[in-house]
Amino acid sequence: MSLRGRQNSTTRPLQTASFLVVRVGLSYLALPATGVRGVLTSEEAGHEQTVTEAGSVYRQVDLARQLSIVADLSGPEMRTVLYSTGRSQGAMAVEQVVGLIDVEPNECLPLPAQFRGDERNWFGGMMLYQDQLVLILNPSWALGELSSAEAAPRGQVEQSMRATPVTLGESC
Amino acid sequence: MLRASRGQHQVQGAKRSWNVVVFSVGGIRLAARTEDVGGVSPWTQTIQVPSGTPFVRAILKRDNRAMPVYDLAERLNRTVQGDPLLCLEVRHLDGPMAICIDADVPSLETVEVAAIRSSGGRDIESLGSVTIGEHDVTIVALQRLGRSIQDAVTR
Repeated sequence: MSLRGRQNSTTRPLQTASFLVVRVGLSYLALPATGVRGVLTSEEAGHEQTVTEAGSVYRQVDLARQLSIVADLSGPEMRTVLYSTGRSQGAMAVEQVVGLIDVEPNECLPLPAQFRGDERNWFGGMMLYQDQLVLILNPSWALGELSSAEAAPRGQVEQSMRATPVTLGESC
Repeated sequence: MLRASRGQHQVQGAKRSWNVVVFSVGGIRLAARTEDVGGVSPWTQTIQVPSGTPFVRAILKRDNRAMPVYDLAERLNRTVQGDPLLCLEVRHLDGPMAICIDADVPSLETVEVAAIRSSGGRDIESLGSVTIGEHDVTIVALQRLGRSIQDAVTR
């Protein structure tokens, strides 16, 4: 797992996945980099309900509220990440953009099976980065594409977890 | 990091007695079968995880492993006591799990199966309760800790 700049992406190994790591409150979150459309300062993002950039409209997504995280979004390192899943687009305010990282599949871990609640929809897995635990955010959930009715039935989730208790790489 | 009781060296009859680890959480003495305990070590700082699972809201990072933390003290409406606090590593059915326990070093005891009463007396997954010394001690079913309350929440 290495921190890298935006350039030079063609030299990375085929099997890696790229994530933009951000911090909201005390939580470090990883967003699949393929969906990142831009990173704006608070002045650039403005204070409207939507952000328009390069002809696309991104509605504000209150990630901190959705995750019940206490966050201070007034600091100088606050940024707004413009994100698209292809189906939905959103502007997520974060306290800090940590950087882009390349992750090999065996560095991604599933969320431990003891986490049995809604967080299984919130996060696709986790990884250890430097001294931190980084949670891999599910962009579809963050942008409101998953309703509770669409969530996998509990029995199905449990069956899947038992079948692959410590499967590595699945989360990337 | 365990203290052995005086009778621990005695040869045990098959299935007629259990070896248990006696520990305390917020001053409440509890026990667990030794096979359900992976070890005891100093408690270290945890990493909070946004979660909707009752009492599971953090992860403890140790070396290259990440273990979920079960907040047994909160479930018992207690606050862990002493310094330094200890980590009880649990062999849970869903994988290794960490519990923060009081600073009192756990001890090993042997209890006769016949002396185990069916009711734990606490609202917690238990294998029964037993009298150790002068204390009524609940034997916590660590392997399935959290499962019944989660089922109740989602029912």
